[in-house]
Amino acid sequence: MSKKIIAIILAAAIGLACLCLAGCGAKQGAETTAPEESTSENAVPMRFVMGIDAEYPPFSEIGADGKYTGFDIDVCKAVCEYLGWEFDIFPVNWDNKLIQLDSHECDCVWSGMTILDSMKEAGYVISRPYFDNTQVILVKDGSDIASSADLAGKTVAVMLGTSGEKLLNEELQDLTASFKELTTCDNFLQCFTELDGNAVDAVIVDKPVAEKYASENKGFKVLDENLGEEQYGIAFRSGDEAICAQVESALDALVADGTYAKIAENYPDIQGNLIFLN
Amino acid sequence: MTLMTIITKMAEGFEKTCAIFFLTLLFAIPLGMIIALLRGSKFKPFSGFAKVYISVLRGTPLMLQLIAVTYGPYYLFGISVSRNKLIPVVVAFAINYAAYFAEIYRSGIESMPVGQYEAAQVLGYSRAQTFFKIILPQVIRRILPSITNEIVTLVKDTSLAFTVSYQEMFTIGKQIANSQTSFVPFIVAGAFYYVFNVLVSFVMGRVEKRMSYYKI
Repeated sequence: MSKKIIAIILAAAIGLACLCLAGCGAKQGAETTAPEESTSENAVPMRFVMGIDAEYPPFSEIGADGKYTGFDIDVCKAVCEYLGWEFDIFPVNWDNKLIQLDSHECDCVWSGMTILDSMKEAGYVISRPYFDNTQVILVKDGSDIASSADLAGKTVAVMLGTSGEKLLNEELQDLTASFKELTTCDNFLQCFTELDGNAVDAVIVDKPVAEKYASENKGFKVLDENLGEEQYGIAFRSGDEAICAQVESALDALVADGTYAKIAENYPDIQGNLIFLN
Repeated sequence: MTLMTIITKMAEGFEKTCAIFFLTLLFAIPLGMIIALLRGSKFKPFSGFAKVYISVLRGTPLMLQLIAVTYGPYYLFGISVSRNKLIPVVVAFAINYAAYFAEIYRSGIESMPVGQYEAAQVLGYSRAQTFFKIILPQVIRRILPSITNEIVTLVKDTSLAFTVSYQEMFTIGKQIANSQTSFVPFIVAGAFYYVFNVLVSFVMGRVEKRMSYYKI
């Protein structure tokens, strides 16, 4: 028995050593391939990795067939086709998206991302805005809340790390102070479930998300009031101005030849707010 | 999205969950033993190192360690992030779980009566022989329930790999849940974890039975 145990321990120790070697090997491999990428741009088609939030319908989500789909993905695919780039998707962790962009896991963050001044200040290259977004209030049918003024003394939910949360904590601080409580949820589904289950009285959320949810589920309505206006753009790493310019000119071409409008037809919920079409 | 599509999609992710689980155990169990032996060493630098190791890895969240192991090398040394996410994920899990395993081993080793060492010495066993032939088998039997505890926790902790975008089962489940505004993926995830843990408990129960020979 003891011999067996010793054998197991030895085998495991050897395994551990292998992992260390493999780890170092992989890292060295990655190091040597890094410079290749820049030189091979002319010969082999460039591989463009799109960073998406796979939990953000209708811009980027998992479709009914289990594949990634959405407006932003369709547009990015068309852009890559136009530019002759190889297209790939990397689902980011939204909280760590900028770390993942920095560390070259993806080449852009393109997923209904609100343009923030703080990103520009941090040196990220941001494309021209392509979508006008507003924050809206979602309530249950029959709720006595008709505007933000009625939210005084109510419990309100917002998704953690979204521009809605930022808005409530900064520009609209006074409004937030009038709430009974502000609940931050980890994801949209949780926000909506809290509302459906009467744990909160209203949810403050991006307009396209609210409209899609209200149209697919009975018993909810989106209030007309717009709380904060913001725009969506594409983020690139600092220094990638050239790539940003290429993507922007490809977008212009797609808008001009009607491809962009054709893609937008499949997403009626957001069509009205697309800057290039309106 | 049909239930079948959800299950197939999540089963794909479950392979990755299993990869984290088995590789973490493979490396953490022996690494924990090494740390435990260092911890018990009379040579101060060794035991000091083990103490700091355990204190840091047990005292910081696994989620932070995952981020540090995955992105730390890039920010500190400019080393590209591994294309195969499994490597940093397993490294982070293994060093974290090794810290817990080390303390479990230590509790087992220190619970052995001194009389056994003395008796072994009288019988002419060397120190290594005493440890491997007499002490270790009994220690393993004693610590098995705690080890099972830790292994069951590991099954559930694999979901933390979502922090670094490793597409394991729970990450995919969350994506489907939010894309389709449906709770079904969470139920499916619960079923996956539970069935897997029932299997783990069954296997560990069998192992405990086989080790009952060393009961004192």
